[in-house]
Amino acid sequence: MRYYIGAEARLRRTVEDVAMSVFQAWNYEEVITPSVDYYDLFEQGMGQREAQRGFRFTDNDGRLLALRPDVTSSVARMAATLLSERPRPLRFCYAAPVFRQQTQSHAEWRRENTQLGCELIGTGGKPANLEVLRLAAEILSRLNLQSRYCITINNVEIFNGVAASLSLEEQAREQLRRLIDTRETAELQRFLKNYDKPEARAFAQPAQLTGKRNVIQAARSAITNARSLVALDSLEELWTEIESRGFENSFEIDLGDVSSLNYYTGLSLKIFVHGAGASVGRGGRYDGLTGSFGRAEPAVGFVLNLDALTEVLGRSMGQER
Amino acid sequence: MITIAIGKGRMQESALALLARAGICLNEGVNSRRLALMDETRQYRFIFVKPADVPVYVEHGIADCGIVGRDVLLESEADLLLPLDLGISRCRIVVAAVDPQAMTNVQGMIRVATKYAQIARAHFGARGIPVEIIQLSGSVELAPALGLADMIVDLVETGVTLRENGLTVVEEIAESTGRLVVNRASYQLKSDEVSKLIRALEDLV
Repeated sequence: MRYYIGAEARLRRTVEDVAMSVFQAWNYEEVITPSVDYYDLFEQGMGQREAQRGFRFTDNDGRLLALRPDVTSSVARMAATLLSERPRPLRFCYAAPVFRQQTQSHAEWRRENTQLGCELIGTGGKPANLEVLRLAAEILSRLNLQSRYCITINNVEIFNGVAASLSLEEQAREQLRRLIDTRETAELQRFLKNYDKPEARAFAQPAQLTGKRNVIQAARSAITNARSLVALDSLEELWTEIESRGFENSFEIDLGDVSSLNYYTGLSLKIFVHGAGASVGRGGRYDGLTGSFGRAEPAVGFVLNLDALTEVLGRSMGQER
Repeated sequence: MITIAIGKGRMQESALALLARAGICLNEGVNSRRLALMDETRQYRFIFVKPADVPVYVEHGIADCGIVGRDVLLESEADLLLPLDLGISRCRIVVAAVDPQAMTNVQGMIRVATKYAQIARAHFGARGIPVEIIQLSGSVELAPALGLADMIVDLVETGVTLRENGLTVVEEIAESTGRLVVNRASYQLKSDEVSKLIRALEDLV
């Protein structure tokens, strides 16, 4: 529950304006979605576990409503229903508050956060992935954070392919995911010792999961299943594009970013900025999402946390003064 | 420069000894009353806080890394990276009672006294045993003798304190050792410095 007064409110407005002007320069149309909607929408869009973090209440007739815990669900439904006849691709952006009860990270959690976000719907593959990465990078450098940010990229299919080839059951898969996510090296290696396939080595060294192109080479030496290899190829192609545009200092590959496996279907990304103790943005490809509203098509997007960005920028301006 | 939070008390001495073996030495005595110190090379800053506050400082990114027991981490449920088990201050988190059969003998709701309310709730909850948790902040071993609780959940190093208070271990919940924890953002933004620290400690454990 945060108040912004005077100079802080102006700074926050400036950050929002910068992001929205970059989105609009890339032909992203602004959308404003309802703050209150039926809970079902968010459960379909985010999955039950995430949607339950929303604030829920009932209408007079007993129907379950929620304060929107995300905007993406609404945009995906809008694209699949109201705009099903519109030619693809669709490009949308928004600046809107979302409301959540406790997330995993205490450092990230506020009941109310304003998301600056974009969704690119109806086009897949490398060009779309690259477009949203370039957008994120452009916003951050327009905010004078050029050398102060780091965007990590991963493809969740690398993990999914390995988990499938080890024939992991749901519980073991979740355990492996958690050990990779928290980089518990010793426990991870103990867990993987039970599997004598070469794939098991792919995630055994957490230190080798984060870095530049070398990460992909290291992963190739262990991975043999087709599903992961396709994902590795596409991640490497994306990295080549990042290098050719001279962005490689601001990007990292992080094969250990497996925090939102049930949501993303390919590329996943996280955005970090010096001075913020938690990530200030996240995103990825969610090709499965619009399908749950009746029209399956590829989609990719990301959100930045306006409140976290304002805090970082406000603090660094305070230090300069 | 990276900041390392260290829990004062039980863990502090063994943590600093381990760091010294890794070539990271404080330039002032540990006996100094200052709560923030630099190492000799000025690459590391140490802050000394209560053990339960280590995950808080690290999760918020005020400290990039921390050294803290697994017991504290399980209790805090903080969202952190846990790259290294340092193997220091090894002990066990156990359920103890006067009567070794207490789990079946107690009539009605079992009362559990503990400093570790989260761990106790999760442990009994996972097995569907209804318990009443009584949160204490120390001398937990006294509670059964004085009739405050039927059982305790506590940290045991040698078991002497338990025996002296007439308690026996009913079951072991988890083993606890000192851990290196890292803030998620620092792991990416200060990856060179953080991985240098991890490599230096890795060889010793």
